[in-house]
Amino acid sequence: MSSEVFKDATRMSGGRASDEAIVAMEGVYKRFKDFEALKNINFQVGKQEVVVVIGPSGSGKSTLIRCINRLEEHDDGRIIVDGTELTTDVRNIQEIRKETGMVFQSFNLFPHLTVLANIALAPRQVRGMPKSEAEALARELLERVKIPEQADKFPAQLSGGQQQRVAIARSLAMKPKVMLFDEPTSALDPEMINEVLDAIKQLAQEGMTMVVVTHEMGFAKEVADRVVFMADGEIVEVGTPSEIFDNPKEERTQKFLAQIL
Amino acid sequence: MSSLPSAPAKVPIWRDVRVLRWLFQIAVLAVVGLIIYWIWGNYQTNIERSSVQTDLRFLDNPASFTIPGNDFDQSSPVRAAFVQGFLNTIQVALVGIFFATILGTIVGIARLSKNLVVKTIAAAYVEVIRNLPLLLLLTFMNLAVVLQTFPRIEDAWKPLDLFVISNRGLAIPWFEGSAGQLSLLVLAGIVLAVIVVRLERARADKVGRPSRALLLGTLALAIVPVVGWITLGYTWTLPFVDGRGTSGGLRLDPSFFALIVALVVYTSSHIAEIVRGSILAVPRGQGEAADALALSNSQKMRIIILPQAFRVAMPALGNQYLNLIKNSSLGATISYFELTQIAQITVGNGSPAVPAFTLTLLVYLAISLFTSLFVNYFNRRLALVER
Amino acid sequence: MTVVFGYVGLWVIWTVIEFVFVTGRWEIIQVNLKLLLVGRFPDELMWLVGASLTALAFWVAAVAGGSKIDLNNVQTIPQRLFDYTRRFGLIVALAALLIFLAADIAALLLAFQVLGGVIVGRLVGLARRKVSVLGAIPSIIWHPMLGSPAIALVLVTLMESTLEEWGGFLINFYMAIISIVLCFPLGVLLALGRRSSFPIIRLVTTTYIELIRGAPLFVLLLLAGVALEFFIPPSIAPDAIFRGVTVFTLFTAAYLAEIVRGGLQSIPKGQTEAGKALGLSTTKITYLITMPQALRNVIPAQIGQFISLFKDTTLAGAALNILDVLNVGTAITKQQDFLGQGLIYEALAFVALLFWVGSYVMSRESQRLEKRLGVGVR
Repeated sequence: MSSEVFKDATRMSGGRASDEAIVAMEGVYKRFKDFEALKNINFQVGKQEVVVVIGPSGSGKSTLIRCINRLEEHDDGRIIVDGTELTTDVRNIQEIRKETGMVFQSFNLFPHLTVLANIALAPRQVRGMPKSEAEALARELLERVKIPEQADKFPAQLSGGQQQRVAIARSLAMKPKVMLFDEPTSALDPEMINEVLDAIKQLAQEGMTMVVVTHEMGFAKEVADRVVFMADGEIVEVGTPSEIFDNPKEERTQKFLAQIL
Repeated sequence: MSSLPSAPAKVPIWRDVRVLRWLFQIAVLAVVGLIIYWIWGNYQTNIERSSVQTDLRFLDNPASFTIPGNDFDQSSPVRAAFVQGFLNTIQVALVGIFFATILGTIVGIARLSKNLVVKTIAAAYVEVIRNLPLLLLLTFMNLAVVLQTFPRIEDAWKPLDLFVISNRGLAIPWFEGSAGQLSLLVLAGIVLAVIVVRLERARADKVGRPSRALLLGTLALAIVPVVGWITLGYTWTLPFVDGRGTSGGLRLDPSFFALIVALVVYTSSHIAEIVRGSILAVPRGQGEAADALALSNSQKMRIIILPQAFRVAMPALGNQYLNLIKNSSLGATISYFELTQIAQITVGNGSPAVPAFTLTLLVYLAISLFTSLFVNYFNRRLALVER
Repeated sequence: MTVVFGYVGLWVIWTVIEFVFVTGRWEIIQVNLKLLLVGRFPDELMWLVGASLTALAFWVAAVAGGSKIDLNNVQTIPQRLFDYTRRFGLIVALAALLIFLAADIAALLLAFQVLGGVIVGRLVGLARRKVSVLGAIPSIIWHPMLGSPAIALVLVTLMESTLEEWGGFLINFYMAIISIVLCFPLGVLLALGRRSSFPIIRLVTTTYIELIRGAPLFVLLLLAGVALEFFIPPSIAPDAIFRGVTVFTLFTAAYLAEIVRGGLQSIPKGQTEAGKALGLSTTKITYLITMPQALRNVIPAQIGQFISLFKDTTLAGAALNILDVLNVGTAITKQQDFLGQGLIYEALAFVALLFWVGSYVMSRESQRLEKRLGVGVR
């Protein structure tokens, strides 16, 4: 899909496409050895937009958002985050990583540091914040995700849901412009999924721009401004939640939704 | 139109990730290169000052020493002595690995026995030996056992009238005849045994009866050498005391004996731990499944547990074998003429030390490499095919 | 079966007891105790040895006491004491034996001094956990800081006495400790190099590691005995202990590199990815996130390597003619008073005891740590 068509579709479906896209991907390709993980991706995220990406496993959803903060290197096309283009320039990569926050499926908290140290690490090391200020910020963020009492514990002592919320707080500590979520609840036991989804919803309400890869359709319906369906490395269909879930146009979308809903 | 600039900005070289990577590599290499250059410079300066030989010409000089237990001629070149030393090392390695594996496996399984006495003795053996330095064991075997405890030849022990044990060595019954021929016969026996086992298994599968492959294979393995023995006229000879030594049979040099016993005992304690660990590493469910299928205890061990344990143990076992080979160099401390001792003697006789010891080192490296490749090959063949 | 093995076992135990208490003639050990333990170390400098031992004990106790591994371990005081007796009883027994053999009040005082060092060290370590001001000091500064008295004392000992005066168990112990401390930086660098994505660095480090690992330590020592002086500037004349320590350091570094590499490999990739996503540079990720975890995870294997090194110091005695405890042990049986009396058993038994107790206790501690670490790591 060319970028013009993409934007028109977005505008027609009432999405908040603006001329200041926080994330813009144009003609992006990504190959792993002989396998094309991403094909001709044209994708934009506007300010304060919540975009949810759904699709079968192997469709390239994770690869898409991992390209945004350079955890994967795209082979063709261009990616621009908040005005900075993602190239092999170390300064650009560094800038973009400072402005994006990522929450992983397996939390990836640092087990040898306390919860507080986990959150305070990046502001101190990357933004040069003094220790007391960083720790105050960390406590504030822990309050925001509703687990202030866990500050001096180690990640191994927390439940999965609590760990993921600490991971969210850790990413927020860098005050990013856009948050990327890579299947944040897929590794959680069912009873803990909601506490994490609530935290993410709260962030959305507070106006954070985010791209969320998930299987939680209820969450998508509730919070997404736009839903993107991917399959086989391509963006197949884009629309509002009601458009995609109630009225899917493409056959692949219909098949996928029939399987999971 | 959104904020896509018309063309990507050019990436300045000094900030390009790819360039920086290569620069870093080159910097590290430069540092390493400087260090090597400095060392080389020192080497050159020192060599000039001391006029020491640094090439391998010494290998052609006559050895001027004899090797006990061998017909090595004093006037043979040094290189022949090295070959002899190498062969001795291989000999120690093969004999040592063989016995250490057997003893280690027995002790390892014994440690898992349900019999409390057996289990405790095996555990004590492992815990005592494992924590002692090998050199200590070797010194003990040499000074305490062989030189001190073993009697003089006049009062030699003669257990079962088959062996003669004295401080001149351990004499065992041996055959008279060509060892090379016998080895070929044994090899032929192995080949025949493999063929027989394959045929028997195929037959048993077709007919549906339990295969007698093990029995028939062992018979085949034994028959060829035995027939060869009889037809070629080999005989057993028993050792007996003859003046200041022994005649008949095969007398194991006391240093060889001490070295082998020390190496076997030491390495077997490590192998016992590996075997024990590998059996314990087989998931409990495997044994339970075997029980559920009504396999007998011996079938369970033979078909299910031990093969899997062996697969786990193989890399660690290979490592122990390498260690044994390297540890054989300690034979030099008790004057057993393996490779390191040969090197030391030739250096004592005037060969230049640096090339001699470097050559020795390279030979050990070659042996290690070869053994590693061997073990890796086995590892790969044993590896489970995974998704 | 039981009868046979039981009989054999009892016979062995009986022989040993008979040897130790009845037939063994232990004067050879009593007379030569100083020689066995410290060689010909000058008497007036013996206090340095005692002080260094105490400082070392302090350091180890402080590091152990401050570790955050046993967070969930709540033991009552009597339980604690019982635990300590079980773990270190053998060392205490050995120390008692040595004091008894020395029959010298100074030895008893030294034992108490070392015990004092251990207790103070443990308290300091605990203080670091409880007092936040101390806890704020980063580990990379705290641990060396605690070790500085020990390091200083060892350096003073090196400077004040000539290395010829060193001997006995002192040599084995010090060579092992000095080598393991020195080999650390090199080992870590080699491990990083081996895992590097830069082909040339990888090749160089792998070659070094594989060369060392394929070579017998004994032959390397022999080579260093004759060849080391060629590779260093002519002004420095290497003596035997210097050669030994150099070889041990280079040797152990290669093995340590493999251990650390294993540790690094076991760290999930997600850790580095999380670091990158937060904007941390690769260097910072390595020394803030991956290295601390890797090193902690392989502490048991590191202890195993140290035990190996400790036992291998006997090889230096054989290859470089250093008077280590094993060499002294065999030498004293040739003394005039003891020649030809078959006292080699007593001598070797004593040396064996020293190594065995040290090695056994250390490997038990390492097993214990392994169990505890397994619980803490997620």
